[in-house]
Amino acid sequence: MQMTRGGMAAILLACSIAWGVALAQGKPEDGLAVGRQMLAEDNPGELWVLRGETLFREKRGPKNASLEQCDFGMGPGKLEGAFTRLPRYFADSGKVEDLESRLLKCMVEQQGMDRGAIIQTRFSNLDRASDMEALATYVASRSNGMRMNVRLDHPLERETYKAGEYLFHRRTGPTDFGCVSCHGDEGKRIRLQDLPNMTDRKQMQSVIAGWPAYRGTHSTVRTMQHRLYDCNWQMRLPDLGFTSDVSIALTSYLNYQGNGAAIQVPGVRR
Amino acid sequence: MNIPTAVWAALGAALLIAAGCASFPDAQSTRDLGEKMVTASYPGMPELLTRRAVQDRAQQICSKIGGAKLTQEEAAEVVRLSRESIQYPASAKLAGDWKEGARLAYAGQGGRIVGGKVESVKENGALCSNCHALDPGEVNVGNIGPSLTGYGAQRGSSDAIVKLTYERIYNAWAYSPCSNMPRLGAGGHLTPEQITHVVAYLTDPQSPVNRK
Repeated sequence: MQMTRGGMAAILLACSIAWGVALAQGKPEDGLAVGRQMLAEDNPGELWVLRGETLFREKRGPKNASLEQCDFGMGPGKLEGAFTRLPRYFADSGKVEDLESRLLKCMVEQQGMDRGAIIQTRFSNLDRASDMEALATYVASRSNGMRMNVRLDHPLERETYKAGEYLFHRRTGPTDFGCVSCHGDEGKRIRLQDLPNMTDRKQMQSVIAGWPAYRGTHSTVRTMQHRLYDCNWQMRLPDLGFTSDVSIALTSYLNYQGNGAAIQVPGVRR
Repeated sequence: MNIPTAVWAALGAALLIAAGCASFPDAQSTRDLGEKMVTASYPGMPELLTRRAVQDRAQQICSKIGGAKLTQEEAAEVVRLSRESIQYPASAKLAGDWKEGARLAYAGQGGRIVGGKVESVKENGALCSNCHALDPGEVNVGNIGPSLTGYGAQRGSSDAIVKLTYERIYNAWAYSPCSNMPRLGAGGHLTPEQITHVVAYLTDPQSPVNRK
């Protein structure tokens, strides 16, 4: 009995040393990285690109129109490179808009769809897919291989970017969180989940390059609007409005910080 | 040698524009715009919940942009507000049951909102392991905060340490103004009784946190 306990203790000690070494090397996630690599090599998100293209070209909605005349900033129907410049100022709305807000506008104005119904299904769940997720993934993927290049030429673009920077650092809610609480420092984790430091341009570029992303834990593709909604939820704040001012200002700030990132959409994330 | 006035005027205007662009928009208008955006960005949410997105004075001070440092006056104000916020449990006993605390320390639920409703849970978790190492046998822990492994073994469990620990959990900013740690008691995420259990988990010699 004594021997057995001694043996057990030795095994436990060896294990804890192994863990200690793994932690000391700062790579507690190496096991997960293998799985992530496998996912990236056979990215399920490609299916969303295909479905998004079909939805984009199909005549749909009460006006029986496709989205082929939708203007993402490069002119009607021009998708190549459009995502690299978003969010940007649009003269037709007088506002700074992101990918999803432009899609929403076109679906309502050109296809005659109901705004409330689109917002209701903006995110997929296990029971139903989301057209918005597929469309956003398709449009963004038309900028694959190009570099993020958000500009702050228009005064509203600059104001929105600065507001995004302000909001990134703004702490609020019952847990006093701001984006910066988790994403403002080097080498940090929530439990074992690595957190990118979004004040570092390199890390920000690797984040920005891959959204929309296939999220393994959600079994679906999620857009930046969802990513911000999800962080906001974890921060114990009320449901962040779809294409709300806060979401677009934060996206302006983050995408601008990620300028130079080579877009490869959909990315693969946890 | 005489440079026409028009050229000077043009140069001056260009300089003014360049200077204006570099500082545009100023900090106050950015703050105003940001706050206006917050007010507009939670459509359809009840006032009881949107109130969460309104900053209190300490949160305003603690939202420095780009790692800017607090002034001495600001730090003092945050400490003062935070000290004033601290309330103690009715029992006046600040170290509760470490086993209860062990459960709470690894629980991350409570207080999140979906579809305009706060999640329905028996009680909020204390969120500790999201950011702190605790029981040396548990590896699924974060590192945003310092390791608390051996917290009581290093400090003991005197009344003074217990009180300090209680107050730091109730309102971390009373001792570390604007630290990343949530003001768990002051913000209403944990009750005073729950905090006493977490205090025991950190300080009790029997707690796994302090076992050799």
